[in-house]
Amino acid sequence: MSHPGGPGPAPRPAGPDQPGPSAGPTSPLEPWPETVRWQPVSGDLIWVELLRLAAGMVVVLAGLAVGWALTGHWLFGLALGLAALLTGWRAVAIVRAVRAWGYAERDHDLLVRHGLLVRRLSIVPYARMQFVDVSAGPLERAFDLATVQLHTAAAASDARVPGLRPAEASRLRDRLTALGEDRAEGL
Amino acid sequence: MTEPPVPGPPLTQPPPTDPPPSGAHGTEPRPATGHAAAEQAVPGQAAEQAAEPRQRLHPLSPLLHGANSLVVIVAALSWQTLGRVGLGWYAGMVAVLLLGAVVLSLVSWYNTGYHVVGRELRIHEGLLWRRTRAIPLERLQSVEVVRPLLAQLSGLAELRLEVVGGGKTEAPLAYVAVADAVALRERLLGLAARTPAPARPGVEGVERVEPAAPVEVPRRHLHSVANRDLLISQLLTPQALLLPFGVAFVVIQFLNEGSWSFIAVASTLTAMAGVLLQPLRRVLADWSFQLARDDAGLRVRHGLLETRAQTVPLDRLQAVGATWPLLWRMKGWLRLRLEVAGFSVEADANQRADQLLPVGDLRTGQRIMTEVLPGVDLTVPLPPPPRRARWVHPLAQPVLGAGLTERVFAVRSGLLTRQLVVVPYARIQSVRVVQGPVQRRLRLATVHADTAGGAGAAALDRDLGEAWALAAELTARARAARGAG
Repeated sequence: MSHPGGPGPAPRPAGPDQPGPSAGPTSPLEPWPETVRWQPVSGDLIWVELLRLAAGMVVVLAGLAVGWALTGHWLFGLALGLAALLTGWRAVAIVRAVRAWGYAERDHDLLVRHGLLVRRLSIVPYARMQFVDVSAGPLERAFDLATVQLHTAAAASDARVPGLRPAEASRLRDRLTALGEDRAEGL
Repeated sequence: MTEPPVPGPPLTQPPPTDPPPSGAHGTEPRPATGHAAAEQAVPGQAAEQAAEPRQRLHPLSPLLHGANSLVVIVAALSWQTLGRVGLGWYAGMVAVLLLGAVVLSLVSWYNTGYHVVGRELRIHEGLLWRRTRAIPLERLQSVEVVRPLLAQLSGLAELRLEVVGGGKTEAPLAYVAVADAVALRERLLGLAARTPAPARPGVEGVERVEPAAPVEVPRRHLHSVANRDLLISQLLTPQALLLPFGVAFVVIQFLNEGSWSFIAVASTLTAMAGVLLQPLRRVLADWSFQLARDDAGLRVRHGLLETRAQTVPLDRLQAVGATWPLLWRMKGWLRLRLEVAGFSVEADANQRADQLLPVGDLRTGQRIMTEVLPGVDLTVPLPPPPRRARWVHPLAQPVLGAGLTERVFAVRSGLLTRQLVVVPYARIQSVRVVQGPVQRRLRLATVHADTAGGAGAAALDRDLGEAWALAAELTARARAARGAG
């Protein structure tokens, strides 16, 4: 069960080997594979994240390159190489991390999972929803994407789903608020 | 409330007294009216969009925001700049910055809009980073019309919508004309109050979960803490115990150096006071601590210099924590503390009543615990995580524990200062399972149960399979506890 390999379109090992109340949890990122249908986020999010990374790294790399050109000190070269290496590693990580994002709408709650190094799964009941944000930055809009974030009274609950098509984001938002109203409850 | 969700708000038919626009949109099942979709004018939504156009804030708001930033600009430029560049240049700089602020506010004003869709308020914001916030009106805790000085002068008002009730304003609308603000407030409150029946039982049901004690004599004395115990307990803190060493250090230095200036005395005393301040403050604050119970909740009364009487509404209780500090163990003492949500709504916002028992033995603690959360055992056995969790917590592994009881999720942690956190299922806002890289190697995971306005409870380093089962069980039990009403 310990497969540190790539999640995302995970092999989805079958066969519940752990006793659980609902189903056997099989993979760190995909618990309850029989009952939960995970939805991936759009692959275009990879481009958004990569461009974001590029925008940040271009400044750093250019700064280092100029510094190297002017001084010719080997430390600048080393830093440049390291930064480039880091960028490459981040790029690979981004691709995998975006594939690892997923959400699932169950009857009573929204499941959101994300993260590669630190893997997180949030289970947020619709009844606890306080308000829903749909946001889209310029890069996201260029790729026709939006982010839905569900807020509860607890600051710690993190239910954020990036990389949704606007139509899907609106649908999710409306579904969340509608379900939240049905199960209306205060604190 | 368990049947499958209906996409729209069919439970509320707007009464005929409603103004026509909201009558038109309230009856139809809500279609997917996204921000983007709204602009495409899908035929089915045309009526709704026409009925409730997006409204802008008052056109004067950018000017007001600009005027507000004037103070910031002047402060940022500082007097020093004025002295260096002269008055003319200074005025020019202020004017340019002010113009920039106004232009930014103008852009922001142009892109900000709000409208009521069905039983939600939607607020659109931002030019580049767009955000649409949808707030179901049932969730509104309060709607305030606030009029700062400048707004008063210009006949405007700010509408503050609070949702979670944690004191933070989630949706400010600044600024709208006073008449509009009042009208909108009435309208929002009207829509929010016309909540279908489910909302009420939900809230009451939640109330019924905790204060199960029957309504008794108006006020029943529960416990008073002996001041002697309080003093001893605060002397048994690291700060107080280290004090003699501090004094000894100072005296030795004094004897060695022989130079004892006023500054040295003062700074030493200040340092000591700083160290001793916390235990001292505790003693002063918790002096003659009295706990009583009436039907409004718990009545807490304490304080030496300033006697404080507080009512803790038990229906807002989120979690209870019991702490066994290391030095108190020889006495078998513990401290109880509770977390209450939305307490800032009460008058005393800055003084959260979180102390339930400053010091007491296990029997007293148990008695009070039973009063607050019936059926919760402070000494409940909680199974520790698997032995391989020693790699993460070499010493504390046997101390850690997490378990499910009939009503609460209980978590134990801390090697030196032992802590037990108890969260009622009905109070769980969300459940999270987090697995770090080391935990993944060891096939462990941490399960968090989040509560409103607090840290919640975290079951550290459980076996992965157990963690999933725990999360599933917590979710199910939380739902059952919510649906009990």
